[in-house]
Amino acid sequence: MKSNNRCIECKGKKLCGRPRCPILERFASIESLSSKIPKNDSVFGASPPAVFVGRHGYPDVSAGPMIPPETNSDESAVMDSPDEWLGMNIQDIISMRSRLVRSNTNINIKDGLSDNNLILKSQELALSTNPVDTEAWYSKTIENNLSFDSVLTPTGPSATLKKFEITENPNVPKKVDYLVYDTDALAKESVSELINKNISTEHITRLLSIGLLGKDRCLVPTRWSITAVDDMAGKDTLNSIIDYPQINEITLFSGGIFGNHFEILYVPKNYSFELVEIWLPKSVWSGDSTWISADFEGLNGKSKYSPLSGGYYAARLSALEYLLNIKRQASIFIIREIQPDYWAPLGVWVVREGVRQALQNTPKTFESIDNALSDISSRIRTPYPNWRNQMELLSKVKTQKTLDDFIF
Amino acid sequence: MFRATIDAYLLRDSVEILSVLVDEIRLRTSSDGISVKAVDPANVAMVTFNLDSSAFDDFEADESEIGLDLTKISDILGVADKNDKVSMELNENSQNMSINIGSFSYTLSLLDPSTIRSEPKIPQLELPAEIILNGTDLRRAVKAAEKISDHMLLGVNDDVFYMEAEGDTDKVRLDLARDQLIDLKPDDVRSLFSLDYLSDIVKPASKSNEVVLEIGQDFPIKINFEIANGTGKVGYLLAPRIESE
Repeated sequence: MKSNNRCIECKGKKLCGRPRCPILERFASIESLSSKIPKNDSVFGASPPAVFVGRHGYPDVSAGPMIPPETNSDESAVMDSPDEWLGMNIQDIISMRSRLVRSNTNINIKDGLSDNNLILKSQELALSTNPVDTEAWYSKTIENNLSFDSVLTPTGPSATLKKFEITENPNVPKKVDYLVYDTDALAKESVSELINKNISTEHITRLLSIGLLGKDRCLVPTRWSITAVDDMAGKDTLNSIIDYPQINEITLFSGGIFGNHFEILYVPKNYSFELVEIWLPKSVWSGDSTWISADFEGLNGKSKYSPLSGGYYAARLSALEYLLNIKRQASIFIIREIQPDYWAPLGVWVVREGVRQALQNTPKTFESIDNALSDISSRIRTPYPNWRNQMELLSKVKTQKTLDDFIF
Repeated sequence: MFRATIDAYLLRDSVEILSVLVDEIRLRTSSDGISVKAVDPANVAMVTFNLDSSAFDDFEADESEIGLDLTKISDILGVADKNDKVSMELNENSQNMSINIGSFSYTLSLLDPSTIRSEPKIPQLELPAEIILNGTDLRRAVKAAEKISDHMLLGVNDDVFYMEAEGDTDKVRLDLARDQLIDLKPDDVRSLFSLDYLSDIVKPASKSNEVVLEIGQDFPIKINFEIANGTGKVGYLLAPRIESE
């Protein structure tokens, strides 16, 4: 049942050869969504904090702080914290994010980072946990517009920076301060230490993208650093759970956010992970047909980037966090059905938070995998065989016996 | 203590046999020789490996357990010629092993055995059918199956041992009658196995002229063979798949 919808596989990467993605452009032109930003060539406002590194033209990219004009710390704090958006609707999120002005400077990801004052200031901003008052001057007046992407959270207009000042001291956690000066630690080591200290994924992504982690410091486009952090954090969590005993019962969680419905099934086996994505007709990328695809990994992980892209790593991370909390391992199966209510792409955090949200609900337990599947199929709108046939790992897990089964 | 000298090719074969399932091992040493028992992380297949002291040119050891990273050893063996000798000596105080190959001398750091997956419990199985065949025949059948499917049926019917694989559209079958086998103890049995595992296991087994298979009805398969002129014994045990969900 795999339709030939290249838009879902591409999600705005412009594989069709068009200079701009028509689907993304459609959203960008919805004037009513963007809150009016004063037509001015300078702004003053508290950054949540947030920084942005583009990928266009890599390795020569545009990078800099994101600043909401005329916004104080209290209002700004929520603007880069997806876990606080769950009570909002899609429209509110977009108009809130549209206030963030992407303030850019053009720079090579590696060369001259330490001499560029605008980057140094952005790095200082990225260190902070709380909003920081900033002031920026641009080369031109800001024009109202919006940008969307499959992995990135929507942002407002972009403008080229002339000058940028931080007008208060950033609030930097000790561990962050310590690790950004440790130029011998590999990025993945630093990321895992930051996770252990309960630094949020958004904060870690910010540090990685603006070139503050790792041995060989460079800017990392925000889109890539989001997935890199989800992947590193996931692998790290996997290493912690791999020696835990298996979960006791077949356990199923169900729930979701913003038209993304999740069924999360834990089966008492050694770790493995499979994600099925179903894009119903009229959801963001799918056009008029349903699109279904799946991807999985065993204990050795993946060697190639998942065709399900950033969402795969985000879903895996949240599902593993649950196992870490209960100190168990399991084989994990997630079915994500994207409904027409998900009408604009909000970024990959929707998957991360959606799975976390579903895992807050009371689980059901089952005697057999088949019973669990029939329960799942009562909530999934797509006919059972269409998605079940995509689940290669589930078939393997159901049919492969283990040696324990023969110890009597 | 542990001090031994062995042919490089024999050590390389031994590492290959174990690497099929694991990257790290707990090597047991005693005055009689060395042994390893290991299970793959998914608990689907295990290997038991014994190499008698007589397989070595020179061997001296106490009862002990050494944690080894197989990937490192196989990297080191990359420099060895087929006919080179490898000599190893455990430095107990510094937790490392000296390995000499020709004029090369390595110091290999050891792993703490307690950090490696513990030795598996071995299921006690009485498997009714036994087939002895040439390792290359087994490998050829598995290779043919790989082209078509991800799993393969092994069974005995009357006096014929058969291997069969069925894909979505195609099918392949190999029948070996008693006279094409070295020996056969027949029983009416069949079990299905994942080629993810079987393909890797038959690679080292294919070097042996006599591979002993023990098969039951939807039961694990035992694949046993000898190395180093009978001074080494290898036994794999692989859990079956069930035929349909």
